[in-house]
Amino acid sequence: MSEDKILFNTGSLDELSEEIGKLTSNEESRLKLTPDNADSGLAKLVLTLVELIRKLVEKQAMRRVDGGLLTDEEIERLGETLMKLEMKMEELKRHFNLTDRDLNINLGPLGDLM
Amino acid sequence: MDMMIYSILSVKNNHEKLNTLLIAMKGISGADLYAVSLDEISAVVCDIKRADLIADKTNAIEYAGVIENLAQQFTLLPMRYGSIMGSTDLINKMLGRNYHEFQQNLQKVENKCEFGLKIFCDSEKLKAELRAKSEADTKTPDKPAPKIKNSVYRDWVNKKLKEHRLEELLLTYVDSVIAEITGYLARLNAVNKFKKMATETTIIDAVFLLDKERKDALIHVIEELQNQYPGLNFVLTGPWPPYNFVEIIIK
Amino acid sequence: MHDNVIDRSKDVTILELLDRVLNKGVILTGDIVISVADVDLVYVGVKLMLSSVETMEQLRSGKSVAEE
Repeated sequence: MSEDKILFNTGSLDELSEEIGKLTSNEESRLKLTPDNADSGLAKLVLTLVELIRKLVEKQAMRRVDGGLLTDEEIERLGETLMKLEMKMEELKRHFNLTDRDLNINLGPLGDLM
Repeated sequence: MDMMIYSILSVKNNHEKLNTLLIAMKGISGADLYAVSLDEISAVVCDIKRADLIADKTNAIEYAGVIENLAQQFTLLPMRYGSIMGSTDLINKMLGRNYHEFQQNLQKVENKCEFGLKIFCDSEKLKAELRAKSEADTKTPDKPAPKIKNSVYRDWVNKKLKEHRLEELLLTYVDSVIAEITGYLARLNAVNKFKKMATETTIIDAVFLLDKERKDALIHVIEELQNQYPGLNFVLTGPWPPYNFVEIIIK
Repeated sequence: MHDNVIDRSKDVTILELLDRVLNKGVILTGDIVISVADVDLVYVGVKLMLSSVETMEQLRSGKSVAEE
């Protein structure tokens, strides 16, 4: 199948193929568990899920703060908890030597929640 | 010996036509193709050894090529690469259990093709523009001045809040573009699916299902949209078999 | 220069193609050889769980539950 499927395009194709490559990149976005990387592979999976939940919770919290119906005290407590969660996450990432990029596993349908 | 399924075809009375076509084609690694049929539908399959199936790009591309060729002659539902079953008997039973759903889906895609639209832009730049615009438009008061001393937690919240609001501005903008596209596509009787912010630069990843004959009209619509949004980069691809429009959970 | 453009076009076409044939289309929930598909099955399960929690919340608060 060699025909070109591009029907319309105005931008630079270099940028494009790089971009689509990221979207469909199989290597980094798949999680491959092997006997050798089982524990760090598992850490990666767990932290990815935890990070997803943390981001969802943070997003919800910001919506509530923006909504204007929380008291100063509630906002203060939210801030303290969320900030500490963020710091804890950074600590865990450092401990397992994982970057944000590493945690960017393709989550399939869960990814759409973000 | 296992079998790989390429797609499910709507054959109706044209089994002869299908067989003739399959004789003239080859599957992955030169394998012969044949049909496992049940009433009006057929699964196009070939024999395969599991070892051959290692996710090899070349094989996957060849597999897609077979589907593409079949789609020129028959309405079909593409299978994901790696769809394997143990025997023709098992395939037959699977066709039987899901016959109704297959027929429904086949009817939905008859005479239609899928097209993909991706819209790219530099989202940091876009956010900056949107923020500038919103600051000019309204005097949005910053969060009410706290009666208590500013704590480090409150500062953190304010920082996150700012980021959050920018995100929301961006999403509102993306929603408006989607609304615009939907408006245009309504005229073409298209079924649309949109994904927002697939990456920081891919702000919209969409697929459309519409009549084959409407291809040129679709290109024209995209040209108009590109003119309307000079800061965004539109890329339209197709026609594709309806990969994104099969809604079925196999029993 | 011209060749470069043609190669890039082909790259993009191939990437789009692979995205479809490897990630989309009809999925057999039985015997999938490629590990990616196995991971997908787990996610579908988890997503169903998340939906149920949402439904529970709606039921508890007395709001009507939208049809799936």
